[in-house]
Amino acid sequence: MCAQAVPPAQRLASLIPAAVGPWLSEAEETYGPESIFEYIDGAGEVYRAYAMRLLAARRFHKDGRPDIVVDVFDMGSSADAYGVFTHDLDGEDAAIGQGSTYKAGLLGFWKDRYFVSVTAEAETPETRAAVLELGREIAAAIPGRGEPPGLVGRLPREGLEAGTVRFFHTAPILNYFFFVADENILLLGPETDAVLAEYGGPGGRSRLLLVSYPQADGAARAAGSFRRAYLRDAAGEEAVRTENGKWTAVRTMGRTVAVVFDAGSAAEAAARLAAVEKRL
Amino acid sequence: MSRRPITRRDFLKAAAVAPLAGAALPALSRPSPAAADKVRVVLVRDPSPLGPGGAPPAEVVQRMLDDGVRALLGEKDVVKAWKSLIRPEDIVGIKTNAWRYIPTTAEVEGAIKRRVMDAGVAEDRIGIDDRGVLRNPVFQNATALVNARPMRSHYWAGVGSLIKNYIMFTPQPSDWHGDSCADLAKIWDLPIVKGKTRLNVLVMFTPLFQSVGPHNYAKEYTWEYKGLILSRDPVAADATGLRVIQAKRKAYFGDDRPLPVTPHHIRLADTRHGLGTSDPGRIELVKIGWAEGALI
Repeated sequence: MCAQAVPPAQRLASLIPAAVGPWLSEAEETYGPESIFEYIDGAGEVYRAYAMRLLAARRFHKDGRPDIVVDVFDMGSSADAYGVFTHDLDGEDAAIGQGSTYKAGLLGFWKDRYFVSVTAEAETPETRAAVLELGREIAAAIPGRGEPPGLVGRLPREGLEAGTVRFFHTAPILNYFFFVADENILLLGPETDAVLAEYGGPGGRSRLLLVSYPQADGAARAAGSFRRAYLRDAAGEEAVRTENGKWTAVRTMGRTVAVVFDAGSAAEAAARLAAVEKRL
Repeated sequence: MSRRPITRRDFLKAAAVAPLAGAALPALSRPSPAAADKVRVVLVRDPSPLGPGGAPPAEVVQRMLDDGVRALLGEKDVVKAWKSLIRPEDIVGIKTNAWRYIPTTAEVEGAIKRRVMDAGVAEDRIGIDDRGVLRNPVFQNATALVNARPMRSHYWAGVGSLIKNYIMFTPQPSDWHGDSCADLAKIWDLPIVKGKTRLNVLVMFTPLFQSVGPHNYAKEYTWEYKGLILSRDPVAADATGLRVIQAKRKAYFGDDRPLPVTPHHIRLADTRHGLGTSDPGRIELVKIGWAEGALI
C-alpha cells in the first residue's frame, strides 16, 4: 500500500487525541453528508448546507464525570469551515484555531478547512479545562491555515459590529440568522456565497447582506426577484421605507447583489451600498 | 399562479397587533369557538425530584399520566378511560424518542405500557420503539399508536415535538426537512400511521429551550419543568408545549426572543394540513397539580 493512501476518515480521526486528563476516548465514528443524521439529530442539515465532506466523532468517558464529545468536520474548504463556525457566534473568544467561541461547556473553532466542536455534557471547572485543552491539542494537530471567504473582505468596515459576520450559501440558513421570506426570493443555493453582517450607527442597528452569484445575469434575476417580493412598493426608488419605519435598499453590482435592511434613512442605506461598491 | 411569499415585512405589519414570537406568522383569525368546540389539552405537573434519567420516580409518572388521562377524557376510572382509547384486540405501538440527551424516559414508556395492558392488550402485542419502527413487526401491523416524546428546541424545525416524532415512520427522514420541516404533518397521512394515534404525551420533565452546538444540546438550556402535556390532538399539544418554551425563553433571556427557526410546522399542521388545532383560542387547557412556574 502506498504511503499516501491513508483513508480520509483515519486521517481526520488522527487529529483527535486519545485522552485528556482522566478522560479516555472511545473508538471514533465517522459520518458523511448522507449518514450524518444517524449521529446528529437537529443540526445535521446545517453542516450539509455548508457542504460538509466528513465528520470524525469521538466520545471521552470517565466514570463519575460528564462525558466530553469531540466532533471534527472536514468541510472541504476553509470558506465553509469559517462559514459553519459563524453559524453560532454566541460565547467568549477562546483564542483557539483561527476563530473560536466557548459557552456553556461547548467550544467551537475553525482552522484550515476544519470545523471542530468539543462539548462537555455538563459544564464544571474540570470539564471546562478539559474541553479547552482538547481544543488546543486538536488545533495544534492541524498544520495548515485557511483564508476566510473573500466576500467577507468586501464588507465596509465603518460601523461593522464585531462578532456579527455570517457566511453561508442557502436561504434556510439566511432565515436562521435573519428571516427574510418563506420562499427563496434571493435565489440562493449551494453555488451562491453570501455574507450577512450587522452595523451600528446613529440611525440604529442595520444589516448588510452581500450575495455573490456565479454570473452577472443570475445576480440581476435575483435582484429582480427580491424587488418583486420585498420592495413591491418601490415605484422605481432604490430604497423603501418598511413597516418598522426603517429603510431597505437593494443594488446589483456585477455578480453581486447587496441589500441593506433596517437603515435609519434612505441616505444611510445608499451610503452603505456605495461603500460596498468601492470595495468590489 | 403561486401565492405571494410571506416576507419579513408581513411580520413587521403583524407586529403592530401582536409581538413577533417564534410561531407567530401573519395570522389567521377565526371566530372564537364555544368551549365545547375547543380541543382539550391537559398539563399535569408534579414537584417530585427527578431521577438520574431525567424523570420523576416511576410511581409519580404513573400518577401524572393517570391524572392526565382522566382529566383529558373526563373519566374517573383510569382503566375505563384507557379502554375508551385502546381495544383488547389492538396491536399497539408506543412511539417513543430515544434522543440521548432528553429521551422519552423508561418511566413514561412503562406507565403507558402498563395502562395499555390494563386495557386488555397482551404484552406481545405491544411495542416500544423509535428509530426502528419501520422494521418492527408490532409497528408494521399496529392498529393503535401512542405517541410520546419530549419537547425541545431544534435547529431545523424550531422545536422537536409530537408532530415531528413520526418522522421515523418515513424511509428517508431528511426528505421532510424542507422549509424548516414545514410539512411534517403530511407524515401523519401515511398508511402506517394514518388514523391510528389514540393519545399524545408531550414529555416536559426537562425541556430544552435553546439549541447550541452540533448536538443541539447544553444542560444550561434545560430546566426542571416536571410536566406532561396530554391530548388526543398532537397539534394542540405541540402548540401548548411551544407556549411553555417561548415563555421560558422570555424569562431566561429577558426579552421576546423568537426561536431562531420558526416552528411553523405546528401552525401549518393546522392551517395547511388539517391535522389538528394550533390556535390557543381554540384550545381548552386543563392544568393539574404543581402550579408554581407553570409559565402558561
